[in-house]
Amino acid sequence: MNGEVVTARNVSKWYGNVIGLNNFNIEIQKGIMGIVGPNGAGKSTFFKLLVGTIKVNAGEIRVMGKSPWKNPNQLKDIGFCPDYEYLPPDLTGTDFLRLTGGLHGLKGQELSTRSKEVLRTVEMTAAADRRIGGYSKGMKQRIKVAGVLLHDPQLLLLDEPLSGTDPVVRKELIDMIKDLNREHGHDIIVSSHVLFEVERMTHDVALLYKGRAVATGNISEIRGLMSNHPHHIIIEGEGLVQLAKALVDRPYTVSVQLWKDRKALTVEVERPDDFFDSIPDLIKETGCKLDSMRSLDDDLESLFKYLAGW
Amino acid sequence: MDLRTSITGLSAMFRFSSKKLLTNRRWVLVALMVALVAVVMGYVANQEGVSLDLGSTLINVLILSFLLPVMSLIYGASMIRNEIDDRSITQVLTSPMDRRASYLGYYLSLIVVLALMLVILVVVGWSSFFLQDQVDSQALELLLSYAFLLVIGSIVYSSLFLAMGVLLKQPIYLGLLYVFVWESLVGSLPGAIGQYTIVYNLKVIGAELIPYGNITEFSGDPTISAIVLAALTVLLLALGAWAFREKEIP
Repeated sequence: MNGEVVTARNVSKWYGNVIGLNNFNIEIQKGIMGIVGPNGAGKSTFFKLLVGTIKVNAGEIRVMGKSPWKNPNQLKDIGFCPDYEYLPPDLTGTDFLRLTGGLHGLKGQELSTRSKEVLRTVEMTAAADRRIGGYSKGMKQRIKVAGVLLHDPQLLLLDEPLSGTDPVVRKELIDMIKDLNREHGHDIIVSSHVLFEVERMTHDVALLYKGRAVATGNISEIRGLMSNHPHHIIIEGEGLVQLAKALVDRPYTVSVQLWKDRKALTVEVERPDDFFDSIPDLIKETGCKLDSMRSLDDDLESLFKYLAGW
Repeated sequence: MDLRTSITGLSAMFRFSSKKLLTNRRWVLVALMVALVAVVMGYVANQEGVSLDLGSTLINVLILSFLLPVMSLIYGASMIRNEIDDRSITQVLTSPMDRRASYLGYYLSLIVVLALMLVILVVVGWSSFFLQDQVDSQALELLLSYAFLLVIGSIVYSSLFLAMGVLLKQPIYLGLLYVFVWESLVGSLPGAIGQYTIVYNLKVIGAELIPYGNITEFSGDPTISAIVLAALTVLLLALGAWAFREKEIP
């Protein structure tokens, strides 16, 4: 191991007739690494291989120099936050941390102190004694991250941590993830299907498409490839007429289309990073209320096809 | 993971898994079963009069032969399988506990909860039957003997159905077939074949402890039956733990 946190060589993983990863190669160094790819690209398969819940069919995968399959001891150094819902809805946030901590060998005062620390880190102290079933999506993501941090692992694996969150929560989570690396020294592998979200956390990215790493490296190089791909974003919420008017005046906007029911709009932008940066100001300025915001996969899909040479 | 940490992990698993088993919606089913046993045994006592033979036969037929395997199936087969299906097993799989130790954690909480529910069931049934008359020490011994058999039965059946939940995607179907065809039908056939059921061996041990009712019809060496049940439990536990360790859980 030469400072690599993760290495995968010629890794293939299939589920029956479905290919998860196909001759996949990657080397991930310390710091934050972004894994970007559309749904079905193999991101979650990659994470599951890293924590050893599944095993490779071919090739070799190593996490901090060791094979993760049937190696539970290594999970002391790894914290995994999956993209799916697995939180027990009947437990409170505190109970969830008590269970997670117990499974990692923490108990008594040590567990109590550590739980308070991670709850502070993810800013969930006030809601810790409420049932998880009553948490918002953002709170669930935060408590999942708290569970991941509890045993203070060196490597954090965050699979789509921003998925389904509103823009405000998304910004908070992005700041938190950056802090976890900068202030707490964790190495982080984070996935998303939106490149611009990952860009806000790290400059090191790997693009996955159909089970392969089609591009790996600095984001500025990859962004160059994207310049010819205007981005379409769908925004849902209330008060979108004002938002549409404000967007028209922005220099990065190519077009704005307000939907008939006025509860959604599609905006095409040339510089998605400028657009995402300006969202908090736009919300303040127009007083609109956003329920969701998502990129159309088509843009990324076409980029991935281009990168994969298909 | 060292021993101290493993014990902490096991204890956390035991606490939360037991709580989960006790608070899930199946308690409605258990409450119905308790009510059924209470009503049936109370009614029979009222109509036929209270006797040790009749009380023993009722507990044997209703609880030991029927509810013990059925409840073990319902709780055991779904315990790990449901967690795999709803993905709440993620916490266990991504903890540094050896999966075989985690499996033991599931098993321990299952047998404690199952034994507790079955003991409550037999106490309720026994009370509704014997409390209609004066209770003597023989009736109390009968209760304790059946409670003991049910605890032993929980330990054996749990090892079987928990393993089924790991090995099969739909364990309930094979489990039902096993309970109703193998344990009930084959177990009641004359000849040696019945000896290959769990319930037969439980009843052989029971016949040694309880000199009343139709359980006395089961003859055999209780020591051999105890050894058979112990060996079967250890074997099934080892098989389940091995399968759980080897299993890919996407």
